[in-house]
Amino acid sequence: MKIRKFAALVLLMGILVISIAPLSAQDEPVTMTMWVRSISFSVQTLVDEWNATHDNQIELTEVPSGEFVTKLGAAVAAGEAPDIASIDLIYTPAFASAGQLTDLTEFVNQLAYVDDLSPAHMTLGEFEGRNYAVPFAAEGSFLIYNVDLFEQAGLDPENPPTTWTEVLDAARAISALGDDIYGYYFAGNCAGCNAFTFLPFIWASGGDVLSSDFSEPTLEEDPMVREALQLYRTMWEEGLIPEGASVDGGENFVNAFASGTIGMAGTGAFGIDNYKTNYPELNFDVTYIPGKDGGTASFGGGDNIGIPAGSPYVEEAWEFIEWALSDDVQLELYAGNNQLPVRLSLAENEYFEEDPRLSLAASTLSVGHTPYSLVYNDLFNDANGPWLLMLQVAIFDGDLDGAVAEAQQRFSEIMGG
Amino acid sequence: MTASLSLQRLSWEQRRKLTGILFVLPTVLFVSVFFIIPLLMTFTMSFFDWPLFGDHTFIGLDNYTSLTTDRQFLKSIEFTARYTLLVTPPIFILGFILASLVRHSIPGIGIFRTIFFMPVVIGLGVSSLLWVWLLNDQVGIINKIMLDLGIVEKAQLFMARPDSAMAVIIVSVVWKTVGFTMILLLAGLQAIPDELYESAEVDGAGYFHKLRFITLPLMRRTIALALILSVIGSVLSFDQFYIMTGGGPRNSTISVVYWIFNNSFTYFKMGYGAAMSIVLLVILVLLSAVQFYLLRDNT
Repeated sequence: MKIRKFAALVLLMGILVISIAPLSAQDEPVTMTMWVRSISFSVQTLVDEWNATHDNQIELTEVPSGEFVTKLGAAVAAGEAPDIASIDLIYTPAFASAGQLTDLTEFVNQLAYVDDLSPAHMTLGEFEGRNYAVPFAAEGSFLIYNVDLFEQAGLDPENPPTTWTEVLDAARAISALGDDIYGYYFAGNCAGCNAFTFLPFIWASGGDVLSSDFSEPTLEEDPMVREALQLYRTMWEEGLIPEGASVDGGENFVNAFASGTIGMAGTGAFGIDNYKTNYPELNFDVTYIPGKDGGTASFGGGDNIGIPAGSPYVEEAWEFIEWALSDDVQLELYAGNNQLPVRLSLAENEYFEEDPRLSLAASTLSVGHTPYSLVYNDLFNDANGPWLLMLQVAIFDGDLDGAVAEAQQRFSEIMGG
Repeated sequence: MTASLSLQRLSWEQRRKLTGILFVLPTVLFVSVFFIIPLLMTFTMSFFDWPLFGDHTFIGLDNYTSLTTDRQFLKSIEFTARYTLLVTPPIFILGFILASLVRHSIPGIGIFRTIFFMPVVIGLGVSSLLWVWLLNDQVGIINKIMLDLGIVEKAQLFMARPDSAMAVIIVSVVWKTVGFTMILLLAGLQAIPDELYESAEVDGAGYFHKLRFITLPLMRRTIALALILSVIGSVLSFDQFYIMTGGGPRNSTISVVYWIFNNSFTYFKMGYGAAMSIVLLVILVLLSAVQFYLLRDNT
């Protein structure tokens, strides 16, 4: 009896809560919840500005990056998802395909500047022709180089490398400056870092690791994959890369270059911000990641923003998203805070005028690629996955053919389910 | 009807039983909520294709049959067994030596007991991170000392080779856990009456005779407890590999729990992770049973 009474009471309370919620949504300003993974972009500033100027309020929660996907997935399943979520863009296809995000196509179609939004983000936000997420935080990869070392090595810092041969020559010249000086750096034990900074070498040369419809791996058949690996292998063999790179799981990704003993490295806008703030004496410039014989490419990274399925505040949440994408916010709150605008036409703006490095970083979005995969994490981001293993076996152990063949097989297995 | 009235109607025997139940109830609840229910849920999940997103579907024993062809799972079992075999003896021998050293209550001995036990108090995650930086080739103190003493010519990348990675992890884990084994063995040592040693000495027994015929036999139970706890800890090891090597180099240090973690929370194959957890549980129960049997008290 008691259990029945208790169950009835719980049911009654549930009905009350459900019936009250929509009423308050219509009548009064609402408070929405928003989750964001820990990223350098200060979302708090953005949300504070929104809360100060709007009736509908947002409560922001920062979820650690490593737990974000698990937590959001579990929350949607339990019906406790936030109203707004800023998701690492590579996961948006997985969330969208599982029906965990609200279809935003109607809203997106009404945006006057839809073609101006970062194309990589938009592609990743689509699933079966519908839009489920739009760009929120942008990050493109490019090469950063030490101007002082370039000058000491007799290289022209005004004309940074535009081909692989030039990259190699520059790395050799810089390494020749001294025992503790190295031409190039990459975090050799960091899967995600190298999706970000190594994949563009392949793309810029017209190659790719996945077929154009993203349905199967092309690691073995595309010669550019092996050639790009060979470029890194040569630099490693010739000692142009410090030995410590082979065990760097990403902890040293930013700091190695900050030491002033590295000629070139791949990085993103977060690097510029960090070096400017914490290493003001470091004299650096940036350039595009080059293809074998020219051309450029970049990894389109960052966050997409969407509305998790089940949120009662879809329209209110979209208002915030639209506001975040507007000219004023993109310029004043993004560019004004050293953040890349997610709209291509705003790459050059008054805030970046004094620092053209940021303009270049922002312009990489127009050549930004991002692999579209429901199993991106398993393929590229996993520290024990096939992508990192291929790089390590090829670059550090020198077994290029074996590395590529093994990766091709593992990619196929994972993509085949 | 109030509670006090109904209590008065109970016989003494019934009240005694009720009191007993009330005493164990918190533990029963705790164990149910945090162990039995999760265990049953894990067991159930292991029969499902259970992705993080979307619906789960019943697939019978498929997860278990997939295990037999999962190369990494088999490799992880082999690696975990090797790690356990390598890390247990040093923890034990060193723990025993330390316990013997701090056994007698002489002035100031507490300081040494505290020093030896201190690493146990910090978390394994924290200690692993500490060792990552101690061993770092650029800023780590260990490389600095070895360079200054001329032991090595250039800074060592301990995590770059499977054997050296394994070696430094073992050193770090022994440092972290030996204090715990020491305390367990110390309690066992102190429970042995001094008279036994004294009479043995009268009979002319040396150190090794006393060890062989008094200390070890009388410490059987303590040794069994310490050994089982240590082996369970090693078989379930995860933090040190996750933090110190990230499973590398070339995926050579992926323990079983690490592989369960990867499948469950990186690849989001929750059902498959659950199946592996159940298999690991069975292995652990068997291992513990064997140890209990071998170290059983014949008396």
